[in-house]
Amino acid sequence: MSSVWLPCGDYHQDYAEDQGWWQSRVIKGKMILVLAIMFLGIPLVAPDYWLSVATMVGYTAMGALGVQLLIGYTGLLTLGHAAFIAVGAYTSTLLVLQFPWPAFILHWGLAYPISIAVAGIVAGLWSVLFGLPCVKVKGFYLILTTMAAQFITVDFILTQYVSQIGGRGQAFSLPPGTIKVGPWAIENDFEVYYLMAVILALMVIILANLLRSKVGRAWVAIRDNDIAAEALGINIVWYKLLAFFVAGFMAGIAGAFWVSNTAALSPEHFPWFWSLWLVGVILIGGVGSIHGAIFGSIFMVVIMELLQMVAIPLADYYPKLLIDFAFIKDMAFGLAICAFLIYEPNGLAYRWWQVKNYFNLWPFSY
Amino acid sequence: MELFLMTLTTGILVGGIYALVALGWVLIYKCSGVLNLAMGELTLIGAYVTYAFYEMHIPFILAVVLTLLVGIILGFLTERIFLDKLIGEPILSVIMVTVGLSFFFKGAIEFVFGTDTRVFTPPVFALKPINVGFLKVSPVYLWSFILSIVLLIILVCFFKYTRWGLSMQATADDETAALSLGVSARFVYAAAWAIAFMSAGVGGALLGNINGINISVGYLGLLVLPAVVLGGLNSVPGAIVGGIIIGVLQNLSGTYLDRYFPGGVKQIMPFAFMAVFLLFKPYGLWGWERIERV
Repeated sequence: MSSVWLPCGDYHQDYAEDQGWWQSRVIKGKMILVLAIMFLGIPLVAPDYWLSVATMVGYTAMGALGVQLLIGYTGLLTLGHAAFIAVGAYTSTLLVLQFPWPAFILHWGLAYPISIAVAGIVAGLWSVLFGLPCVKVKGFYLILTTMAAQFITVDFILTQYVSQIGGRGQAFSLPPGTIKVGPWAIENDFEVYYLMAVILALMVIILANLLRSKVGRAWVAIRDNDIAAEALGINIVWYKLLAFFVAGFMAGIAGAFWVSNTAALSPEHFPWFWSLWLVGVILIGGVGSIHGAIFGSIFMVVIMELLQMVAIPLADYYPKLLIDFAFIKDMAFGLAICAFLIYEPNGLAYRWWQVKNYFNLWPFSY
Repeated sequence: MELFLMTLTTGILVGGIYALVALGWVLIYKCSGVLNLAMGELTLIGAYVTYAFYEMHIPFILAVVLTLLVGIILGFLTERIFLDKLIGEPILSVIMVTVGLSFFFKGAIEFVFGTDTRVFTPPVFALKPINVGFLKVSPVYLWSFILSIVLLIILVCFFKYTRWGLSMQATADDETAALSLGVSARFVYAAAWAIAFMSAGVGGALLGNINGINISVGYLGLLVLPAVVLGGLNSVPGAIVGGIIIGVLQNLSGTYLDRYFPGGVKQIMPFAFMAVFLLFKPYGLWGWERIERV
């Protein structure tokens, strides 16, 4: 955010301007436009089906932002992010369903918002627990410990003990009316979309601000070279664990939000596939930029929806296609990751940046 | 005591298969520096390809040999199409390409064969347990172990004594020096992938005989990751010992810990053990410790 390219002829005249959030009028207008489309345009125009697709984009982006923070900004490779989303989702559901809330909190509709915050903190601490090996190891070894986090959390603890799949079986379904934010009950696609939009906007703003602070600069220094960062006096253990906490916190909130969309919870919503998917999303979008996480989510979710729209009419001629669609989706995802890494390693965000620069300097490209 | 010995034997015998697959993994890493997360899917491909040949009434051993041939072709193709273009890219890109490959392979396998569990019919190995000393061992485990050990010995001899094996060792040791002596690095990379496909393929075929073939064979293939970490990423003896240790650990925890933590403790234990092990000995038993400088 800080390295915004200004149009020809615009110069900063004091420090306040240089550190300003909106660096030029064009950017300010653009951001207002984006927010207007997000909060007014899409919900008023889009039909219910595309609204739920947009919600899916938002949920993917929430997870991808955490992965982006870990991989793109701190250089901590993670392949187990779905575990922390799952922890957040389960914490929130258990709190809403089983905690003895005082009557006035239920009356004011605060139970679900409080559970979102608690879910974030619990998932953050859980993430720090599995991030502890990052003190000693990095790179591939860290991938393995985060993979262990995924298998231990989702496939073992949540499947066997919390949901008790294959045993007594504990169903987590939220009856209508339990998910209430203040006076509003979150029940249809429209309300879920608004909840998503508010949470996502807050997340992006907070993360972007965090990244241009001292903390964010420390993270980037650790990503570029952690030994050099340590020599510069950055407490790398503290900042790495902080990155794990913040990423886990965001994952927990994403999970707690997801509960409002599904209204029923099962460990199958958080497979290892989903962790890999989130990493794939930031690779396609572009590593090391918030734009990348958002672009990647939009691209992946919309492409998969389009693939499905193509597959449904074709199924008249080839009925097996509908059953096999999940497998085709897997193959398409795998090939997309490979193709992007080989032919477009900088991701979509880099193209966006090129287009933006071209128009900033247009018509004189020097 | 007898239960303990039985579990231990089964663990060692299954561990032999893991060791074979782990060897393939270590080879790729040693020769080309690629950390391969698609190993589970390579075992899956091996299992299904052998099954497909076996369904055509080809004897099992011949089916395994044909699987080896398919493995060589697929290995060369994979390396040439995907990995060849990524030499020198950052570690995350290379790892994620193998993840992409694993999705592609898994999707393709499910597309072709479906998700139902397939069983080798008629059974390849006799079902009746045989007595080895005072222990009863199922023939599947025993023959699988023997077959994997034979293949392991062949592979190790290939490295030590043949021209190609020596050129692979040279590349693993120092790529630039090997290049200057006329070793073709591209050939070595392709050969490493071909061997990995072969070893994983045979491993998959053997694992498929134990429990039937479905997607979970891919999960068993993923167990090579704890095995290679335990042994050290670039150590061939480490891979073999690590594979056997993981097999033993898995079976012991299945027998003794399942009472206290019912459910999937058998599947989780290798990964949990690995996470703790990494805290104390991050470079494994015989891996090279890498000294980093700014």
